[in-house]
Amino acid sequence: MKGALPVGAVQAHGIRASLGQQEILHGIDLTLQRACWTSIVGPNGAGKSTLLKVLAHLLPYSGVVTLLGQPLATLPARLRAQQLAWLGQSETSAEDLTVWDVAMLGRLPYQPWLGAPSAADATAVEQALRATQAWDWRARTLGQLSGGERQRVLLARALAVQAQVLLMDEPLANLDPPHQADWLGLVRQLVREGKTVVSVLHEISMALHADEMLILHEGQITHQGACADAATHRALEAVFDHRIAIYALGEQWVALPMEDDARVAR
Amino acid sequence: MNNRFFKLLLVLLAWGALTCAALAQPPQRIVSLLPALTETVCALGQCQRLVGVDRYSNYPASVRALPHVGGGLDPNIEAIVALKPDLVLSATSARLGERLQALGIQTLALEPKNHADVQRVLAQIGQILGVSTAANVWRGIDAELSTQARKLPATAKKMRVYFEVDSALYGASEASFIGETLKRLGLKNIVPARLGPFPKLNPEYVVRAQPDLIMVGEQNYASMAVRPGWADLQAIKAGRICVFNAAQMDAMVRPGPRMVEAAHLMVQCVQGLLNRQVERDPNEPSGSAP
Amino acid sequence: MKECRQPQRMAACLGAGLLLASGLLLLFGTSVGSTGFESVLNAWSDPLAWQIVLDIRLPRSLGAWTAGALLGLAGAVAQGLFRNPLADPYLLGSASGASLGVALALVFFGVSPLATHWLVRLGLTGAAFAGAVVAVLLTLVLAQGVQHTLRLLLAGVIVGVVLGALASLTMLLAPEVLQAMQAFMLGSTGLVGWSACVLMVVVWLLCMGVAWLLSQGLDALSLGEATAASLGLPLTQLRAALVLVLALATGTAVAQTGMIAFVGLAAPHLVRSVAKTTHGRLIWLSSLSGGVLLLGADTLARWLIAPQELPVGVLTAILGGGYLLWLMRRNTRASAGTVL
Repeated sequence: MKGALPVGAVQAHGIRASLGQQEILHGIDLTLQRACWTSIVGPNGAGKSTLLKVLAHLLPYSGVVTLLGQPLATLPARLRAQQLAWLGQSETSAEDLTVWDVAMLGRLPYQPWLGAPSAADATAVEQALRATQAWDWRARTLGQLSGGERQRVLLARALAVQAQVLLMDEPLANLDPPHQADWLGLVRQLVREGKTVVSVLHEISMALHADEMLILHEGQITHQGACADAATHRALEAVFDHRIAIYALGEQWVALPMEDDARVAR
Repeated sequence: MNNRFFKLLLVLLAWGALTCAALAQPPQRIVSLLPALTETVCALGQCQRLVGVDRYSNYPASVRALPHVGGGLDPNIEAIVALKPDLVLSATSARLGERLQALGIQTLALEPKNHADVQRVLAQIGQILGVSTAANVWRGIDAELSTQARKLPATAKKMRVYFEVDSALYGASEASFIGETLKRLGLKNIVPARLGPFPKLNPEYVVRAQPDLIMVGEQNYASMAVRPGWADLQAIKAGRICVFNAAQMDAMVRPGPRMVEAAHLMVQCVQGLLNRQVERDPNEPSGSAP
Repeated sequence: MKECRQPQRMAACLGAGLLLASGLLLLFGTSVGSTGFESVLNAWSDPLAWQIVLDIRLPRSLGAWTAGALLGLAGAVAQGLFRNPLADPYLLGSASGASLGVALALVFFGVSPLATHWLVRLGLTGAAFAGAVVAVLLTLVLAQGVQHTLRLLLAGVIVGVVLGALASLTMLLAPEVLQAMQAFMLGSTGLVGWSACVLMVVVWLLCMGVAWLLSQGLDALSLGEATAASLGLPLTQLRAALVLVLALATGTAVAQTGMIAFVGLAAPHLVRSVAKTTHGRLIWLSSLSGGVLLLGADTLARWLIAPQELPVGVLTAILGGGYLLWLMRRNTRASAGTVL
């Protein structure tokens, strides 16, 4: 799949990254298409979050990552921030900021040092907050919200950037099923608008809703393919040691964990 | 060229005039922030010029009636200014010099640390105050010290003294002014000058040195006997300890004209101890070293 | 007044309240002192009373407010930079550095008061400031730059402990400076004149300006360092600038008034207990509340046992600590869920 289409939204060549002394990613090559939702899956410790951070240029790495044709290393920080939004696993301590303020922080890449938020900023923030059903509590502080509500606000922050590429690490944390369904609809809408979405999800069933799937195992990509492909399903089962089984359910696929005796029976 | 020379001459003349003006009028209202300096002013017979002192100045008794303006190191600037002084005397480690200068008050920072300093400070303050008795006062002090020294018998001159300044174990060495007084009196010091004026000693050091005589303040004496190993000290067992009360320690600790009083107290104590020893056993040699 | 209940107006109301309190305390501060209120009454007729009020009490009160404002600002910046509500402005070792600077200066003053001419001109104030700045630089060197906040924090603690130990060692080897050091450690506004006041105001304006420019950066940092980096913020330069502001503000305050504890720690919490805002408004409010806290403590210190004075540091701890204690008890009773 290397360079099959003219310009991939995100391309990576020969990525190696370490955390401390240990090398986590051992030479990754990948191409992610535009207007496509790719989900990265793999066992714990495979390096999924690390890969996402590398693609977002948040960790030191060796190799090249290009964003819409341009190498990330040469892109000025503001431009990169405008084209690439990253939503990480929650490390916020912003208890005192209001929902509006948090979402407005997503517009930082567009604001000058001394400027007040412009009308365009306000519109973007409103759109983002409405999309995640957080508009009604825009005056409440983060400290007053539950885990799921907080996650929706952080998601709105990432949406407010209106970036071409969205990288999301465990975006469904603390979200209840209705809001997980909302998130799915949101991602599909973004893809329809031509954006590129990459997500790391540990809920395999949710991950199977994506267009493409990237399977990571011990720092290397073992499979990249469409989620609807049977080959992808087999690779998925293999990487989890056949402790899961993938079933069709109407139009969708679901993954169910298998207990040992059930596996033997199958 | 000529212009510049004239300007310089004018500046020098002006400075000279101002200095003369300053000298012409010796200060009449003095605030002292260091007990040693208070005592110096009074020793020069100018006690009446003092209008304010720090809270630690308590000698002579007349200064106790003066208004207190805080401590030497945390003075109350407002109180000082309210007294309208011509001159403020302070220790060199006080930060108030610039502040008072900014408020238009002349300050003089002096901190006598040894006998030579006391003589120098007497002369300096005498000159500033416009009195000529400084030299006489020092001669008197000097003569009195010699007299006190003569009062001690020859046997006393062999005594090795340990003067304790603080119970965290700070001793007075030969380099301190207390040490100098002891030397004038002809007594030896177990703490040599090379350790500095007030070294922090290891308690072992004192035990090993086995002083013949211990001089200590009342407050610190209480804890002395219970220090580990100290009960075996010959001086403690034989009771060759000079204990001074707080008022007496004041005189000992301040490097000023009261060192005469300090010497007198020391000599009195030593004589008393020697007499007691003679009473106990007239044949036993006194001031024995192990 | 009723609009103040609304969260949006809370910050503005708090700011107005703090300004009012500052003005009142300033008036009160110039009327208390060892010569009492008569100085103010006689100020028009008596030039001495005029000098006392104008040249001693006024700059002292203003100086107390400004020093408190500097510490409050530094506290807000420290808590935002380290994302830790227990951070205080002395965290990067600046307090210990200042102590060591003063201790060394006192020792050298004693050795030869005339020989070290430049040291005399620098004065103890300059020595304290230089010590604080050197300590922060040492921290930066030890942490190898500002890349990792945790390493910076750890390096700051190490430098603080080591320099503090060196200061103690200096005091032990030269016990004659012990009392002077104690006077410095307890903190006092007694020696603040107009020139010191003006200096502090200039530094405060400078630090405030820089911190306000960077306040959005602080907000972004509170979302997490990775998120802030993903928003295009130059994290290294941001942290370096914030550390500089911290060092400058703390060094100036400590140099002029000695080590006054608790103001930097308590001021941001006092603000947060009333109004929750972004850092842009927090640094202003925290600065104001630091000023009010220190000015109030200083005025009380001069008034309670006049004509004697209490050490200011004791009163800031009692005032600030007492308020925080009351807040904690109120929160646990209400069990609203929000942690202090």
